[in-house]
Amino acid sequence: MIKQMLTRLLAKSLWKQKTSTALIVLSVASAAALVSAFLNLAFHLTEQVAKELRSFGANILLVPRSDPLEVEIGGLKYVAPEESAHLEEADLVKLKTIFWRHNIVAFAPFLSRLVEIEGNRALLVGTWFEEEIAIPAGKGLFTFASGIQREVEPDSGKFRTGLKSLARWWRVEGGWVGEDGQGVLLGSQLAQRIGVGRGGVVRITYQGRTVLFPIRGLVQTGGVEEEQVFVHLKKAQDLFGLPGKVDKIQVSALVTPDNSLAIRASRIGPARLSPEEYETWYCSPFLNSIIHQFEEAIPDSSAKAIRQVSEAEGAFIGKMRLTFMLTVALALLAASLGVMAAMMTAIFERRQEIGLMKALGADGKQISLFFLLEGGISGFFGGVLGYFGGLAFARLLAARTFSLASFSLPLSLQGVILFTTLILAVGLAVVGSFLPMREATRLEPIRAMRGS
Amino acid sequence: MEPLILSHELSKNYNGKVCALDRVSLEICPGEWVAVMGASGSGKSTLLNMIAALDLPTSGALWVDGVDIVTYTEEERVRFRREKVGLIFQHFYLIPYLTAVENVMLAQYFHSMPDKGEAEEALRRVGLGERLDSLPSELSGGEQQRVCIARAFINQPKIVLADEPTGNLDATNEETIMKIFHHLHRAGHTLLVVTHDPHIGQQADRIIELDHGRVVPVVSSQRSFLKNTNFTLSIPIKEKHPT
Repeated sequence: MIKQMLTRLLAKSLWKQKTSTALIVLSVASAAALVSAFLNLAFHLTEQVAKELRSFGANILLVPRSDPLEVEIGGLKYVAPEESAHLEEADLVKLKTIFWRHNIVAFAPFLSRLVEIEGNRALLVGTWFEEEIAIPAGKGLFTFASGIQREVEPDSGKFRTGLKSLARWWRVEGGWVGEDGQGVLLGSQLAQRIGVGRGGVVRITYQGRTVLFPIRGLVQTGGVEEEQVFVHLKKAQDLFGLPGKVDKIQVSALVTPDNSLAIRASRIGPARLSPEEYETWYCSPFLNSIIHQFEEAIPDSSAKAIRQVSEAEGAFIGKMRLTFMLTVALALLAASLGVMAAMMTAIFERRQEIGLMKALGADGKQISLFFLLEGGISGFFGGVLGYFGGLAFARLLAARTFSLASFSLPLSLQGVILFTTLILAVGLAVVGSFLPMREATRLEPIRAMRGS
Repeated sequence: MEPLILSHELSKNYNGKVCALDRVSLEICPGEWVAVMGASGSGKSTLLNMIAALDLPTSGALWVDGVDIVTYTEEERVRFRREKVGLIFQHFYLIPYLTAVENVMLAQYFHSMPDKGEAEEALRRVGLGERLDSLPSELSGGEQQRVCIARAFINQPKIVLADEPTGNLDATNEETIMKIFHHLHRAGHTLLVVTHDPHIGQQADRIIELDHGRVVPVVSSQRSFLKNTNFTLSIPIKEKHPT
């Protein structure tokens, strides 16, 4: 009966003062909408931004573990072929079998040697331009020393990758080397130097063997690649007499910025982490944990981070998150001040009612409970309103500002965002109601009833 | 008989200048109906607020039901109001968004446990059986005051304090309210009614008159016949002691 009475009292009180209730709900809803919008965008955009940044190239390089010290000046590699160690082309598919296989956006193998091209020395690079590979089933269940088991969904079976996916910013005049593997992609500066153009033919000589290649396209990259010539990996392997071999593999992987655990793992080495820490580290897409998994998948390889890209990515995403959090914090502060002002007005308008309640024997706890519940209920409705408003705002922002055609998050993540938004909204309303509630409990009944 | 209310040299000063009560000493026995009369500003409502533990005196002592309530903490004063006092106001002070029965239940809620059946019965006793679910705005002044009376008595308080209960009512409603007061008095309730209306005051067992915060000695009239007769026929006898 007490609960029924309180419910009735609250429902009628909220309905009676529709204006101030609406003001509180709107104040909370506006902050909750920002929270919801920013959480949605933070989750969705960081993934999108990471993908966008990935289009600027690889962030991981795999080389043979026993590779001798190589010297590369201006894109030319000064190392004797017989000294070179190699990776196996057949191992490339293993990159898509690691725990974080779904985060591997693209990769391409490289096999390069200095050749004579129309009488000029240049680096010939054999690679995949656009290759469709069949992914093996791979390991689905990962068991850790801590006893925890993690399951990873199998991949779709087919994966298209190569230089075209890895180096999306390259400007190619003409066309890429097709699936038939015929022809070359010539660096634009090299083409200019040797006086050839698209549609022409180049003569390439390596250790006395000469091969003619039609020029499929000219490439501009703004880097050393403009002085190189690119052919299909198979052609390079045939020319160099290294069937099935590659020098290095460049990988573009989606990673998350390093946190304290990732930094610690880098400092002391993953082997010295506790089993629980290791499991957490292994199951987080940190750059170094993905590198670790590559080395597990291809034991003869040594993986390295191409720091420039991954650090820029991490720093950008970190700054974006910080900006979101600061904006949300400011919005929460502003909204709690709004709630406080609306509550203060409501309490001033209802001072006779509060005075009467105290005269009838209501104690401070009963008055506090009443106003905090009023604030909490308004906060809840503001939170629900704000969540959906924020979701719509995030979709609009994603479409208009970030030009994202689709905007979807898994239901479980939406649940987390809804829960977080509601908790913040109710908390905000309760915090905003706290000072006015204290004022209400301090009112002297007689003075309040007289309206003074 | 032990007095239910006993004050000794009770004084109240505002800002050290305005003296609302000046060394008021009085006794009220259980079951007594006492009217507190006087001109505006004589200290009637201040005295009632002190007895209701709604205000604190500047000096003096005030015993209610054997306890000096002046020494009470804020928490104890709240409990005292909840358990021992029923309040009736001139301006009714009903919660506008609650129905008549809910307004009565509100006093139960703060006291212990709301009981709708009891609240409805209390309203029926004051003649509002047909208006249980009406909002205050749908009730006349007299009906609103009857809701206040039901609310004041719902928790069976030791003392009922009424501040100008008929001050805002017409003659017909005033008569209805006074009938209810007589009925309650006959049932043994202790009533302390503040009024400036001699017609209302004369219906009490005793009148305490205040003037500039001081008690003007009054010879009380033994009017027990009122308990068995129609009060409107009674003629009060009041004698002032020479000052």
